[in-house]
Amino acid sequence: MQGTRTDIEFGFGNGTERIDFAAEAHLSPTTTLLQYLRGRSDRKGTKEGCAEGDCGACTVVLGEPDGNGGMSYQACDSCLIFLPQIHGKQLITVESIGKSTALHPVQEAMVETGGSQCGYCTPGFIMSLFALYKQGPNPSRDEIDDALTGNLCRCTGYRPIVEAAAQSCAKGPHDPIAEFAPAMAKILQNLAQNSSTFEIRREDQVYFRPQNLTEALRLRQQHPTALLVNGSTDIGLLVTKQKRVLPVVIDLSGVQELKKVESATETLKIGAGVSLEKVRKLSEKKFPALNDMLNVFGSRQIRNLATLGGNVGTASPIGDTPPVLMALDAEVELVNLSENGVQSLQRRRLKVADFIDGYRSTVLAGNELIESFILHKNQPGITVKSYKISKRKDLDISTVSGGFRLGLDEKGRVKEIRLYYGGMAATTKRAEAAEDFLQGKEWSRANVEAAMDLVESAFTPISDARAGKEGRRVMARNLLLKFWSETVPQTV
Amino acid sequence: MSTQNIPHESGAFHVTGEARYIDDLLVNDRLLHGRVVYSPHAHARILSFDLAAARALPGVHAVLSYQDLPGENQMGPIIHDEPVLAAGKVECVGQAMFIIAADDEMTAIRAEKLIQVGYEVLEPILSIEDAIQKGELIQPARKIERGDIEKGFAGADHILEGTLHTGAQEHWYLETQVCLCLPGEGNEVKVLSSTQHPSETQALVAEVLGISKMEVEVEVRRMGGAFGGKETQANHTAIWAALLCKATGRPVKIRLFRDDDQKITGKRHPFFFEYKIGFDQTGRVTAYDVTQHTSAGIATDLTMAVLERAMMHADNSYFFPNIRIIGNAWKTNVPSNTAFRGFGGPQGMSATENALDRIARFLKMDPFEVRRRNFYGAEDQNITPYGQEVQNNRLYLIEEQILKSSDYLKRKAGVADFNAKSEFYKRGIALTPVKFGISFTSSFLNQAGALVNIYKDGTVLVNHGGTEMGQGLHTKIQQIAAHELGISLGKVKVNATNTSKVPNTSATAASAGTDLNGMAVKNAIEKLKSRLVEVAAAHFNETLGPGSQPDQIRFAQDQIFDESHPERKIEFAKLMPIANFRQVSLSATGFYKTPGVYFDRAKGHGNPYHYFAFGMACSEVEVDTLTGYVKMLRTDILHDVGETINANIDLGQIEGAFIQGLGWVTTEECKWDAKGNLLNHSPDTYKIPNVQDIPRDFRVKLLEGAPNPNTIRRSKAVGEPPFMLAFSNWLAIKDAISAVGNHAFEPAFQLPATNEVILLSLEEIRGKMRGEKVKSL
Repeated sequence: MQGTRTDIEFGFGNGTERIDFAAEAHLSPTTTLLQYLRGRSDRKGTKEGCAEGDCGACTVVLGEPDGNGGMSYQACDSCLIFLPQIHGKQLITVESIGKSTALHPVQEAMVETGGSQCGYCTPGFIMSLFALYKQGPNPSRDEIDDALTGNLCRCTGYRPIVEAAAQSCAKGPHDPIAEFAPAMAKILQNLAQNSSTFEIRREDQVYFRPQNLTEALRLRQQHPTALLVNGSTDIGLLVTKQKRVLPVVIDLSGVQELKKVESATETLKIGAGVSLEKVRKLSEKKFPALNDMLNVFGSRQIRNLATLGGNVGTASPIGDTPPVLMALDAEVELVNLSENGVQSLQRRRLKVADFIDGYRSTVLAGNELIESFILHKNQPGITVKSYKISKRKDLDISTVSGGFRLGLDEKGRVKEIRLYYGGMAATTKRAEAAEDFLQGKEWSRANVEAAMDLVESAFTPISDARAGKEGRRVMARNLLLKFWSETVPQTV
Repeated sequence: MSTQNIPHESGAFHVTGEARYIDDLLVNDRLLHGRVVYSPHAHARILSFDLAAARALPGVHAVLSYQDLPGENQMGPIIHDEPVLAAGKVECVGQAMFIIAADDEMTAIRAEKLIQVGYEVLEPILSIEDAIQKGELIQPARKIERGDIEKGFAGADHILEGTLHTGAQEHWYLETQVCLCLPGEGNEVKVLSSTQHPSETQALVAEVLGISKMEVEVEVRRMGGAFGGKETQANHTAIWAALLCKATGRPVKIRLFRDDDQKITGKRHPFFFEYKIGFDQTGRVTAYDVTQHTSAGIATDLTMAVLERAMMHADNSYFFPNIRIIGNAWKTNVPSNTAFRGFGGPQGMSATENALDRIARFLKMDPFEVRRRNFYGAEDQNITPYGQEVQNNRLYLIEEQILKSSDYLKRKAGVADFNAKSEFYKRGIALTPVKFGISFTSSFLNQAGALVNIYKDGTVLVNHGGTEMGQGLHTKIQQIAAHELGISLGKVKVNATNTSKVPNTSATAASAGTDLNGMAVKNAIEKLKSRLVEVAAAHFNETLGPGSQPDQIRFAQDQIFDESHPERKIEFAKLMPIANFRQVSLSATGFYKTPGVYFDRAKGHGNPYHYFAFGMACSEVEVDTLTGYVKMLRTDILHDVGETINANIDLGQIEGAFIQGLGWVTTEECKWDAKGNLLNHSPDTYKIPNVQDIPRDFRVKLLEGAPNPNTIRRSKAVGEPPFMLAFSNWLAIKDAISAVGNHAFEPAFQLPATNEVILLSLEEIRGKMRGEKVKSL
């Protein structure tokens, strides 16, 4: 067994900082990064707007070595990050990049375009703009919009902020942070080499952050009821909104093995700890249905933190990735630590569709972790599409979602069809009667319209804050027609 | 120099995080965390409560109920009907019952859980329809009437009747309600509040604490957004914090958590309209009869003023010869609804705009043609239902320009072409006007004060009664002061608003911040200049020989000079110590009251507005008829701000107001469950527009060459009027829905038009189409 540590170390601006939880009684391991910053007299710039990742006022940038001697930068919502998660990263806040007497280019542009009115959302926007600025010059309007989706402004109407993005990025990406990047990369690489499991015990709480898979599985065995955290965009809300104390936490965000991506001829294997933003980019060419869903998943700040393992593992009825993963016939690989004498990893694979077995429930055993997801690249004759209906197109939770899979024979008849719906039941659920009806029939409008009634009768949805049950029924019906309209063979 | 697009006076502080909001202020470690314990029931009798266990918890310094108030248990701003802390009964979920001061948040939460309360739960009245059935009016009904409504209907070719719902809207200021109270000596308390109305906050804190107003100092540096939500309801948080401060003798801060803020505070008033409209074959309205019902919530707050403005904007830009507007405000078991940008104007106009849209569909006319045929005339047909003449009517000027710049008619044809070829995606277009009255309709409120100090180094500190909430008021005031004194902007600073500097002020509201305070500052500076010209003339005469007259002294380019002898000049900064040496005061107060405004509520008649602001917007949208998702393709706005003081700030106000309006008409939905719990109480389910929701092609212009007589620098108020330009998007959505049925059916419609509303409306039209086919067979 390796030794454990009670402290974290991270880059802060162009310096470094260490927090020893053993010495800092006022900090708990589930203290959020935002709470930590707000508690410091020199970091009041970062604001709390909602404490749930929906407004971006608390946006900070986290830097990581890019593997080429430099740094890469991601905007994240600091309200959703537990402090131990920033270990080994560079934390950049609005104070790190400029002062009113020496503005950073993104700050200068925001002043010039009138991008701040009341100013309360502004530090968050500045950090999203800073992350965009670091990605290189001349982003497209779509890239700008995507970078700013996670920041709400109630004053401006956004136009000047979009202008500030275009204006400042044209000058990028050089700045004082860039000059120090190689040195910071070295500092952080050294920290990574010295890493051992973070473990801190409080009166009512124990928090582990293992650095490798074996250690994670060992802790999992010892604490089978521990809350697994891999991104904390969902679990974080238990702390920030429900003010709950999480008694036992295993934070998987430091486990390097879970961040692997392996692309083979037939398959794409994505580690459970890979961020959804990375998955979004990976899926762009080969898995457009998954890509479509991730394009409207949360915001950049959320996707930089959230992981595929976390999204599937929580098994939420309105989780965005399960319906499309199921429609893609994706598999999940689970891993545990063998108990017979020699330590060895044992794995089992199953379909994502078989992994989730109820409302926020999965078949994951008490000694297992999700290691990876396997997507199959070559599925000839199969079309998969995903749909998400939400009140607001972006940064919203699905009212109804769909992951649909269709195979037609040479005569245009349905050879294979699966219709997975989210938001219509306690878990992702298929419209089986509609599938059965369509099986073997011509993929025609008349048949699809007849099947729409069967979709409707497959579910008894609820009414909630997002929509009424009547609205949900119409949405579910319409998605099948939409799927048809986008897959109907374009013959004369 | 004066109309340059100088950036926001705090811009560099905003973007670096150096701008300090109340929650950022460093306070000594004796600061206590204040918490509000609120009702979980929409309507209940409080049978018993026990605070002993909560009070005994270590780290808890005060737990207060209504029994512990030193002064009045009342915080209603006009009508005194809102308790500070519930006494004997609770009337909405979110009503404050107890307040706690503790060392930290977790201790306060633990204390809250130790409070025992016995309730007898009663039936709540939640919806307006429920209130109409079995509820009561919160104040007597109001009426505005002109002409002969029955004769108007008798002369109509057609009559349409209908109803419309408009939803509540959450302000969603980024900075939630917050107040920090610091104890002073004796009774003194200093209140740092995020309030739009420091004088009222001061008054209510004094009344509830049972002390004098002179002992309460309220200061506002800046707010992180307000939009009306901090006009009266910032008082609540301030009062609770002040009570805890008084009870503990320690600094206390209350910052509402987002969900608590959304549950506790009031919203934009939802409305239910019942209307009947008569018109002739050409689309001219002959009679309009509308009853406006609104949900006041548990207390009056500003409801009657909001209702009054809704009634006075039922006409929008149109001359209706015979019109009757009845206003009913119902008491309901929700937090008291309150001011929100537009202040009833948007609601009042919505029913009218929808009715005109119906007339156009009924007559198969272009909706904008129907609108323009009913516009107020430039020379006649220009009297509003409440008797005010519409002067300086800009509708025709704007119409002419926007028809060209938006290419409305051609694009309308393009929309029809698109729709003919597309089954599942439908486009719609609409061009709508706004006419909005500027002034508080309670005429006495149209006053403002200022205190301008010039220091011996020539720098100028301006105090005025207005508050900065992001609208750029302080920037405009800085420009006005610098312009009047002929000095550089850098020599002028606008101070935090403070009741000890400028007393007895009105709220910064009704879009009138610059109109009122700008004039008050100008008035103060005129007094100072009248003293300085004497000093300058005397100084020139003494140093350069006789010849200078005070009335020839001018102020420009950081100089003071004699216009008749331009070589006689002195730097502005250099004259100030001379004035001081000559024992001349360099400090002056200023005052302004809007001339000529009055309104007789009983008669529904008067001249309530100093002037009207005008604007128009043309919007094109595309609706995915299978998902209800709306793409905002393009919006053209032409808006009248008179002569702009700061074009960037005015454009920011127009765009910001418009996008806020866009949220109100599309995605912002407040729903309550049957027990009166607000379901959309965080941004998770309450969706304000984000960057992806703005029109992809967004063209905003200021109307040029239309100065406004008799206002500061011939400008116009701008904060609220553009909010209502979003009707163009709302009705463009309806136009797209209508296209599914080839405009043969009137779509079921409401506000907001969420994707769900759109889908259900489309279902109904498709059903009607199927029904028609069956009939024709």
